[in-house]
Amino acid sequence: MNRLYLFAHIGGTAVAISTNEVDAVVRLNELSVVPGVPSHVAGLAALRSRVLTIIDAAALVNAQQDKPGGALVRDGGSHAIVCEIGGHGYGIVVDRVDDIQTVDSTPLPICGRIDPAWQPYAQGVIESEGRPYFVVSLSSFLDSCLNAQAA
Amino acid sequence: MEELLSDFVAETQEGLEALANIVVALEADPSDRERLDELFRFFHTVKGSSGFLNLPRFEKLSHAAEDVLSKVRAGESVPDAAIISAVLAIMDRIAELCAAIESGDTLDRKDDEVIIAALRECVAQSRGEDGASGGEGEGGTAVEREDAQARLPGAARTIRLPLMLIDQLMNGVSDMVLARNELSRKLRVTEPEPELEAAFERLSSCIADMRDTISKTRMQRVDRLFMAIPRMVRDLSRELGKKIELVLEGGDVEMDREMVEAVLDPLTHIVRNSIDHGIEMPAERRAAGKSEAGHLRVSAHQSGSQIVIEVADDGRGINTEAVVNKVIAAGIISQQEVAQLSEQAKVDLIFTPGLSTASQVTAISGRGVGMDIVRANIERIGGVIALTSEPGRGLTITMRVPLTLTIIPGLILNAGGINFAIPRSAVIEILHDNNPTVSVSRLGGGLTATIRSSRYSMIELEDVIGMPMLERQGPRSLMLVRSTGGNPYILSVASVENHEELVIRPAAPMVMAAGIYAGMTLPDNGQPMLLLDAGGIAQVAQLPLIVETADAFGSQGREDAVADGSYAGLRYIELSGEERVVRLSLVERVEDIPLSQFGVSAGRPYVTLGGRIVNSSQAVGESDCQPGTREVTCLRIRDDLHELCYPIRMVLDIEDVSAELDMSARHGLVAGLVLLNGRQVEVVDSMALLALAGEAEVRPDCGVRPTRCVIGDANDPWNREILAPLLRQAGFEVIWGGEEAHAERGDVLLLTADDGDPPETPADAPIVRLRRASQPGGPEDDSIYRYDQDALIGAIAALGNGTVAA
Repeated sequence: MNRLYLFAHIGGTAVAISTNEVDAVVRLNELSVVPGVPSHVAGLAALRSRVLTIIDAAALVNAQQDKPGGALVRDGGSHAIVCEIGGHGYGIVVDRVDDIQTVDSTPLPICGRIDPAWQPYAQGVIESEGRPYFVVSLSSFLDSCLNAQAA
Repeated sequence: MEELLSDFVAETQEGLEALANIVVALEADPSDRERLDELFRFFHTVKGSSGFLNLPRFEKLSHAAEDVLSKVRAGESVPDAAIISAVLAIMDRIAELCAAIESGDTLDRKDDEVIIAALRECVAQSRGEDGASGGEGEGGTAVEREDAQARLPGAARTIRLPLMLIDQLMNGVSDMVLARNELSRKLRVTEPEPELEAAFERLSSCIADMRDTISKTRMQRVDRLFMAIPRMVRDLSRELGKKIELVLEGGDVEMDREMVEAVLDPLTHIVRNSIDHGIEMPAERRAAGKSEAGHLRVSAHQSGSQIVIEVADDGRGINTEAVVNKVIAAGIISQQEVAQLSEQAKVDLIFTPGLSTASQVTAISGRGVGMDIVRANIERIGGVIALTSEPGRGLTITMRVPLTLTIIPGLILNAGGINFAIPRSAVIEILHDNNPTVSVSRLGGGLTATIRSSRYSMIELEDVIGMPMLERQGPRSLMLVRSTGGNPYILSVASVENHEELVIRPAAPMVMAAGIYAGMTLPDNGQPMLLLDAGGIAQVAQLPLIVETADAFGSQGREDAVADGSYAGLRYIELSGEERVVRLSLVERVEDIPLSQFGVSAGRPYVTLGGRIVNSSQAVGESDCQPGTREVTCLRIRDDLHELCYPIRMVLDIEDVSAELDMSARHGLVAGLVLLNGRQVEVVDSMALLALAGEAEVRPDCGVRPTRCVIGDANDPWNREILAPLLRQAGFEVIWGGEEAHAERGDVLLLTADDGDPPETPADAPIVRLRRASQPGGPEDDSIYRYDQDALIGAIAALGNGTVAA
């Protein structure tokens, strides 16, 4: 299998995202705050005439540990992966974007006992330049976003 | 082939919609040759296309109809009610077949035969009666057919486009507008460069034109909404044995196609109701001294950014007794509460959920869908619905809906340091909390605001959104908002900032989950903003649901006043000190305008507002300013045509003013006197006020030509590209220095600081000097910074002895 992946870090964890899901990577400027929603919805940002809902992925994943993630986003200058799911534009905030690379191998099953926080998201592991990355899907973040709110 | 087929279906469906009216009209006037031809052409086209596409059933049906119509054309039979019904049945069948092709269903073939047989039967009968002889040669029909084809109207060429593509175009244009705004911000910080700015200006106007054009592609004539009505009225009236004269007006008004779809169902329902419940049987009408045929008028017109659709009948009106009894029987309100209600409030009870006044449920409108659903549907799209019922004389239902779904007028407000938008249609009134007519009390954590003796629940927006209450100067703003299905309540916000046309998009589900937002928007400043949902906020804040009538006890006086025909009036103090009231609906807004923007030209006071010149009701001087400022408080008056600036001393309050004058004393602007809170207040005559606004219209007749501006240097690109268009737009005539026309007395000469020699002018011609630098060169420098639009236009208007041809 020959697929292009975007390699990034979310909350200090290395992840790989299939580029099929990714529209663009942008640097965020000022965000408009959205009051009344959980803290992992970091706000709204304008990308040309589109309005993106910005999701702080680290805050979402680490919700159980109660680590504040919002501060990181509001400094501005952080990167977000832009995607369109269900007709809405989203920006998923990441710590940093490392690379875009083709990976020839199929994802490997996860070995070892991983942090339960990552359990819902990690679909497998792929290796790039000898380092392992979790394979994640952006839509899984959004799903869990909604589930967290429904609960 | 697939594509051809779907085109055929779409075209046929469109044709059917358009023709329904024609068939009905033909029945009323069988001699109408043009309509007959049109109908004939339609069947002919369907027949031709279906033959080509190998759709034998379409071909058979259309052939039968065409056959009959050609006989009618040849004068062999007369289109009586039976024939028209049969033709309509064929059209319905064709529509069903179209739908079947789209959905892939199959329809029983035998039914076609039945319908065709029915048609032939009718023709045979009518011919028997007329005694006309047969003699229909195939040749004759062929000639007719060619004839019809030759006369196909030269309609404008059209193409079909997927809606998606237009939406994409629209998004592209929005992107362009934002990019333009950003560029304009960047240009503003750099040194002005005429050529660059000229190019930019051109780009801007291109984008603006394009935006307009693209928005037009989304617009549709209201005709489309009206198309189904004549057929429906015909069918229903025949079924019920009533006679109805239908009048459709304003079909050429345009509205957003999404809006058309949204209004279609409510409108259909209202028309059905009118025919079924409103208009009486012919005998009953005769007995009541009315004409046998009921009148039903459906009209549309545009009013500002709204479309007003009105359905008026001259039937029996709403039987308030029956409505009240039903509501009481349903246990929604009690007998005592009803006694407190005004007549209009009783009429409005028809909107109570789950109510039908018809004594027996009929097939036509007794479908369990009541006026409550109609109202909910209209309100969902930001519209308002109102009833005017005159028992025994008729009912008029007025729907006011915004022009488009996606662009709405919104108010921008601030709470906890965050900006939000709220649809303007949701806001009934805005007051400052230091207004003497408002008192706020806190009881057990709940807030109650009393405005002019009406009590409302009050919510502080910061409380709902969990933001801290910021310390700020000045009073907070209280908005009286209406929420769908609930009572109006007061939403308290830090401030109401602005008013803007907003493009609304749906917000992401995790944002909507908060329950207080209706969507999001990207205003001109490029900073995304959320649109508040007034109903949602009330729910999240868990406002008590008081049945509307329960608080009528408190607001009894007010309710009664409304019923007696009162209106909201703005009480203010004139510059000359009198206290007057003006109809609030005439006042677009109240604004403080700098004194420097006022001026007098040719004896006429005016004010410069955003590069335009607007009539002012009177000239103002230093003494008219508010203490400590150089600004004058003005009422901006506007009707659909004119605009007027009306300087005043101060605004006092909004009052319910009785439409009945206590004393009529017409003098100038004053129509008479009313008693407000025990004091007499002069009422401004709306007509006289608007006449004042419209005075500009008569000026061209007075033989006064517009002020001519002579621009010194015709070769300067900035003059050509920026200055001249600006002046023309402001209503001045522009000529170039050095051209054939020499400057005459009364012209104003425009020179840029470093232009060459001024052109020939009468020695006393006034000169306006422009400078490139934003700051004056020295104390004696009286030149005007060339981008100071207001100052520039003001100066020209003041110096020229002509007028502005605005």
